[in-house]
Amino acid sequence: MTSSIIAQVRNLSVQYGTKHVLSDISTSIVQSEIRVILGASGCGKTTLLKAMVGLLKPVAGSIRLFDTEINDQDDPATVEVLKKVGVLFQNCALLGSLTIEDNISLPLQMHTDLPLQVIKEIVSYKLAQVKLTDAGPLLPSELSGGMRKRAALARALVLDPPLLFCDEPSAGLDPVTAAGLDRLLITLRESLGITIVVVTHELHSIESIADNISFLYDGSLFFEGPFTEARKLTGGPVYDFFTRQESNQPLHDETRQDHFVETYQ
Amino acid sequence: MAFQEKTISLPSALDREWVEKTFGPLEGFNGGDLILDFSQTMRIDSAALCAIRILDKMYKDRGRKLVLRNIAASFLSTLGAAPEPAPAVSKEDFSFHGPLIRAGDRLIAAKETIVHALSVLVEMIYWGTLGILKKQDFRRGILGEQMFQLGYKALGIVALLSFLIGMVLALQAAIQLKTFGAGVFLGPLIGITMVREMGPLLTAIILAGRTGSATTAEIGTMGVGEELDALKTMGINPIQFVVVPKFWAISLTMPVLSICGTVAGIIGGWCIGIFYLDLSSSLYWGQLWQYLFFRDVVAGFIKSVIFSWLIIWIGAFYGFRVRGGAEGVGRETTASVVACIFIIIIADALFSFVI
Ligand SMILES: Nc1ncnc2c1ncn2[C@@H]1O[C@H](COP(=O)(O)OP(=O)(O)OP(=O)(O)O)[C@@H](O)[C@H]1O
Ligand SMILES: [Mg+2]
Repeated sequence: MTSSIIAQVRNLSVQYGTKHVLSDISTSIVQSEIRVILGASGCGKTTLLKAMVGLLKPVAGSIRLFDTEINDQDDPATVEVLKKVGVLFQNCALLGSLTIEDNISLPLQMHTDLPLQVIKEIVSYKLAQVKLTDAGPLLPSELSGGMRKRAALARALVLDPPLLFCDEPSAGLDPVTAAGLDRLLITLRESLGITIVVVTHELHSIESIADNISFLYDGSLFFEGPFTEARKLTGGPVYDFFTRQESNQPLHDETRQDHFVETYQ
Repeated sequence: MAFQEKTISLPSALDREWVEKTFGPLEGFNGGDLILDFSQTMRIDSAALCAIRILDKMYKDRGRKLVLRNIAASFLSTLGAAPEPAPAVSKEDFSFHGPLIRAGDRLIAAKETIVHALSVLVEMIYWGTLGILKKQDFRRGILGEQMFQLGYKALGIVALLSFLIGMVLALQAAIQLKTFGAGVFLGPLIGITMVREMGPLLTAIILAGRTGSATTAEIGTMGVGEELDALKTMGINPIQFVVVPKFWAISLTMPVLSICGTVAGIIGGWCIGIFYLDLSSSLYWGQLWQYLFFRDVVAGFIKSVIFSWLIIWIGAFYGFRVRGGAEGVGRETTASVVACIFIIIIADALFSFVI
């Protein structure tokens, strides 16, 4: 069944300068899977996504997407593979100098020979999918945070990529719109069979979309498996995450508190 | 003298204002133990809380005691809950690095800089020439807009400055030429200087300030906003997308601007010739044509094209170097303009030997 593995991460370690962020991560994602990456804020989820699309050079390990090794931008094979990948960035990363329409149509204009008419139609179709019909002629700076997020999702989807990476798609959205996005992702998976990797903190959204989850903790992969399995855990960071508890190790050590009591009373 | 205890009865609101007023004296208090009486205190804000924590530490270090009397349990728990700040660790500790290692680091950094700069140059030339033929992805209409932005809009300032420089040069020369009765040679003197040197150089310096800096700032801002990353994941080369339209726009407009500047400078010289040296107009132009060769024009043209490539190359290179946030953009933009002008003048000096 190796043919159905879409993305494979092997012993990946990533550093920023001398700071270790990810160490020895291995996982593989199969066709039509929706994989949710979880973890506390700042634990390296975005870093993992960026490394998977070749934006960060790992210090060790390798990434294969569609059975092609991902290198940096100078490698034509990587560039070819990236055309089959859609990425929604956490901060949207829309091009500030282009209108929303132009942002969304850019990949089409650069990579296809479709007539302009068709391109325009695709753009308005994608805008409708993310419920942004009127935003086409506006600049990214004229949109709200949530609208920008949806526009960026439309751009990530415009080439109908078989593999989609989403970094917190529903951050900053109201519950109704967020649920709409979840439905959109599920529909895409069902109609086009695309593979989706999502980073999210929304418990509802995880519940409704996740097939498998990968839980990052302290720079490594702490748990990986079906969502239902994850819910069965009764302790540890994954359990804390789902029950919204603060981790059981104390925020401030008790000794300090004692010290104050002693000194002051 | 025995140290005396001191008791301070705290006000009902322990806030920033209280800290501003009392922290100094309390810190300087050099007696024995200090007793803070909280019996009236109803409210405590974070400034006061932190001040008390600092005092506590300070008193402990001095071997004295700070006593908090009548403190409510809720205050005490907030006092305890504030986490101890992590000890400051300097990011890079170079103290044990020997000078040799440091020199080595510098050398490696310099090598990386050069490699990076060359790769930007090579990619710019590749995507600007061969790459264009491969795909029609030259952004529609963008070239025209860029040419308008960096050409037409710079025309006024280039013409005005060249005119003034032409006048100043002519005036200085005229004073000398007049002494020797050689005023008739003002035409060729100004003509050749402007065509070969001042026209291209002045234009290049103005465009380094306008276009070079704008390129750095634009690319830098795109990098900070992850727009460059987004382009890469879409399979679009940032150099092809951002730099190439500018590359062509500047290559096409700079020679034209340079010619305009040259003509303006020569006209500036003509004004001085007519009004200061009392030359006749036909003499000025006649002498100019007689001594100005096609060679000079070509030299000026080649210079202006090469300068334009230097400007866009250095502007783009510094743009891709931007790290951090807005401050990084500012820093690299400044560096880009300085480097650009520096390298243009060096290149100009080299040209004087070659053509
Ligand atoms: N460009 C960078 N340079 C240095 N360190 C970085 C950089 N980007 C991220 N980091 C560090 O890497 C760690 C992981 O960051 P990352 O953005 O991957 O977190 P995250 O899991 O996506 O968090 P969040 O849920 O808040 O988005 C953080 O501790 C952060 O400080
Ligand atoms: Mg993140």
